[in-house]
Amino acid sequence: MNVLMLGWEFPPFFAGGVGVVCEAMTRALSHRGMGVTYLMPRGPERTTGAGVRVLSTSGTLPAPAAVHPAAGSAATCAHDAGARDIAGRIAKLCYAAGSGNRAFAGSIDGAAGRRCDAGASLVAGACSVSGTTRAAAAWSQGVPASGCGSLYGSGLLADIDAFAAAVVDRVVAAGIDYEVIHAHDWTTFRAGLELRRATGKPLVAHVHITEFDKSGGEHADPAIYALEREGMLGADVVVTVSERVRRSCIERYQVPAHRCEVVYNGVEADTAVLDPVCLDAPMILFLGRVTLQKGPAYFLEAAARVHAAEPGVRFVMAGAGDMLPAMVEQAAELGLGGSILFPGFVDRHQAAILYRSASVFVMPSVSEPFGIVPLEAMDQCVPTIVSRQSGAAEVLRNAMKADFWNVEELAEKMLAAIRYHGLARELARNGRREVARMGWDGVAAELESLYCRTIP
Amino acid sequence: MPDICFYFQVHQPYRLRRYSLFEVGRAHDYFDGEANAAIVRKVAARCYVPMNELLLDLVERHGGHFRVSMSLTGTVIEQMQQWAPEALAGFRRLVSTGCVELLAETDAHSLAFAADAGEFVRQVDIHAARIHDVFGARPRVFRNTELIFSNALARHLQERGFAGVLAEGADAVLAGRSPGFVYTAHGAPKLPVLLKSYRLSDDIAFRFGDRNWPEHPLAAARFAAWMHEAGGDLVNLFMDYETFGEHQWASTGIFEFMRELPARAFERGMGFVTPSMSLERCGAAGEIDVPRPVSWADAERDMTAWTGNAMQRAALDAVFALSRAVLDSGDETLVRDWRRLTTSDHFYYMCTKYFADGDVHAYFSPYESPYEAHINYMNVIADLRLRLSQGRSAARGRRRQQAVQKVAA
Repeated sequence: MNVLMLGWEFPPFFAGGVGVVCEAMTRALSHRGMGVTYLMPRGPERTTGAGVRVLSTSGTLPAPAAVHPAAGSAATCAHDAGARDIAGRIAKLCYAAGSGNRAFAGSIDGAAGRRCDAGASLVAGACSVSGTTRAAAAWSQGVPASGCGSLYGSGLLADIDAFAAAVVDRVVAAGIDYEVIHAHDWTTFRAGLELRRATGKPLVAHVHITEFDKSGGEHADPAIYALEREGMLGADVVVTVSERVRRSCIERYQVPAHRCEVVYNGVEADTAVLDPVCLDAPMILFLGRVTLQKGPAYFLEAAARVHAAEPGVRFVMAGAGDMLPAMVEQAAELGLGGSILFPGFVDRHQAAILYRSASVFVMPSVSEPFGIVPLEAMDQCVPTIVSRQSGAAEVLRNAMKADFWNVEELAEKMLAAIRYHGLARELARNGRREVARMGWDGVAAELESLYCRTIP
Repeated sequence: MPDICFYFQVHQPYRLRRYSLFEVGRAHDYFDGEANAAIVRKVAARCYVPMNELLLDLVERHGGHFRVSMSLTGTVIEQMQQWAPEALAGFRRLVSTGCVELLAETDAHSLAFAADAGEFVRQVDIHAARIHDVFGARPRVFRNTELIFSNALARHLQERGFAGVLAEGADAVLAGRSPGFVYTAHGAPKLPVLLKSYRLSDDIAFRFGDRNWPEHPLAAARFAAWMHEAGGDLVNLFMDYETFGEHQWASTGIFEFMRELPARAFERGMGFVTPSMSLERCGAAGEIDVPRPVSWADAERDMTAWTGNAMQRAALDAVFALSRAVLDSGDETLVRDWRRLTTSDHFYYMCTKYFADGDVHAYFSPYESPYEAHINYMNVIADLRLRLSQGRSAARGRRRQQAVQKVAA
């Protein structure tokens, strides 16, 4: 069986979680023996090591290195230097705990545009990309880099229409053989509908996130909502990444319940557990976009309570996003200046270093369709707290759970994981075992059976 | 022709309320009075009261030839005194017939034998005193929490002069022999051991209401026939009292089954005995060797339900590490709270062996997860520890003040 996937991003040309998910999904389907073609609007064309054919409708954007989000003023040294830098800075932060609580306040002073630690090349890089590079970085990150304009402007809507207009010709020209169309998220739904109309082949619309999740509440951009709904109602099957997203599709988009199925994400659990980075102070980690949806403010509120009880604990808020400057400010107001680090956007390699250094990982999302990050943390044996408002909380048994707004409960669980060693040990051990069972092979098998049911 | 020996365990723990880490040092009430009252009232209404009446009726109807044994923990007796006195009155009436033998155990239904030998002795003595106080009875036969048993326990009980002990008839213990005889344990030749016939016991306790069980619905006559076929001297039917009406709802027909069972057994020539009677009648048929503890829990029938993971071991260590300081404090409320924290249920709620891998565990836990159970328990222990240290410094302060006053006088 052959599937044509439509997506907006694909590693290494990505930053958001959906790109990572799509890569893992295509690889697992390919390993199952399916033919997989992945078509996106822009990006370099190639065939991946797993045999997935990656195509684009324009096919002309520069090679990934030049648009890497970490590129910018210090483009040449972004990757390795960034990794070295972050390891060194975490060590400094945590050793400072043992040597008289050295103040980090200096790093969060300064002019509004440069709040994020003058030495933080990562944040500086993300903030200083310019011109077309900036647009590509924002586009591939799935979020506006701080101060870099909005992703959801008229430009994006035009891109969506352009993709839909070009998709049929591109597929014919490439001679792609497929029986089912699988479109990822609202930006590709219109192209999916276009293909379905032209070929009569069934369309699977995969909802990784809805507009309501992104806004962290009740508000949705009407233009985006309309595109989402058009795609969901026009598709043969809607796949969601959790029960909470499925409910949202049924209740807010009026998708008939019988055409809406949950396929939980998997996780790449074959990575070896890396040696922990030994620090002389426990570190609590937030890793994700610093936006309303991810609940960074609740993390800081909880951190302040932990700090009051255990002044030696250190915090890292990793990620870029429109709330980053406000969070830096809030941390200072809460008296966390000397105990917290904001390294900005981190790539996977840097993330691995952070996991290795962390005593607790927290995902306090206000609204999270699924949330793959806690699974990565658990795979690295890090005791993990997820908000009950996440899809991951539906499936994870060996993570602690708290309501995102209940900062006292968040703080209590952070402290418990640090103080109660038996708890930390069991969470680490059982968490890793649980994640090991959530491989992408199972997801691929579910999808294949879903495709079979969809093809007439 | 075997005689039938029933033993029913009657127990309710003092469940903890949700106790936050941020309450440590501020609040010292740990137990969920509302939930505990509601649960003991519910169980009394569904099980204790109707089952007590049913057993009383059977004793009367069969002219004293129907007998059973029971063990009531101190924690359930206290909760009945407080919230379900009618249930306790029913147990008293039953015991006064002379056809119900009460057994000895740890008052708090604890794991003290493995963790703290001194505290084990104290809890057994407290329980014996309570049973005498409430029922006027003196227990002679022992049963340990969750039927946990080992050679070491047998030796200890023999030294303390108990007449016998109850244990799980685990396959590993019997090695192909029948649980229908009295045995002694290695190293304790004078202490008879009664072993649970777990297949027949579990037919009633676990399988009775299961519609997918090929033998469902189980008739009393059929069950009597199985006991008859089992042979040996004894059929030891050991189970939770809550089996009747709580684990197996009234709608399964469990009460009707029990009401009819004695008559069907008598028809086949079988009688009913208490543990003390069976120990007097039957000599030991052989020796069992139990170097590592067995229990009646789960398929493993070992200690892993309470001590299998790092959280459980840390919690057990934490609570028993306080025993000396708690007893020295002389603070009765503190001692009472601490003893209620030694109840085995608290550790059972922290069990991950099924939870972690996604199985639905058959047993009830008031917590969302074993991790929540551990956090809550450790928060309470942290406060208890703080009370102890504050108590010590207060006592030091009082002594100092008294000394100063003496000098001044």
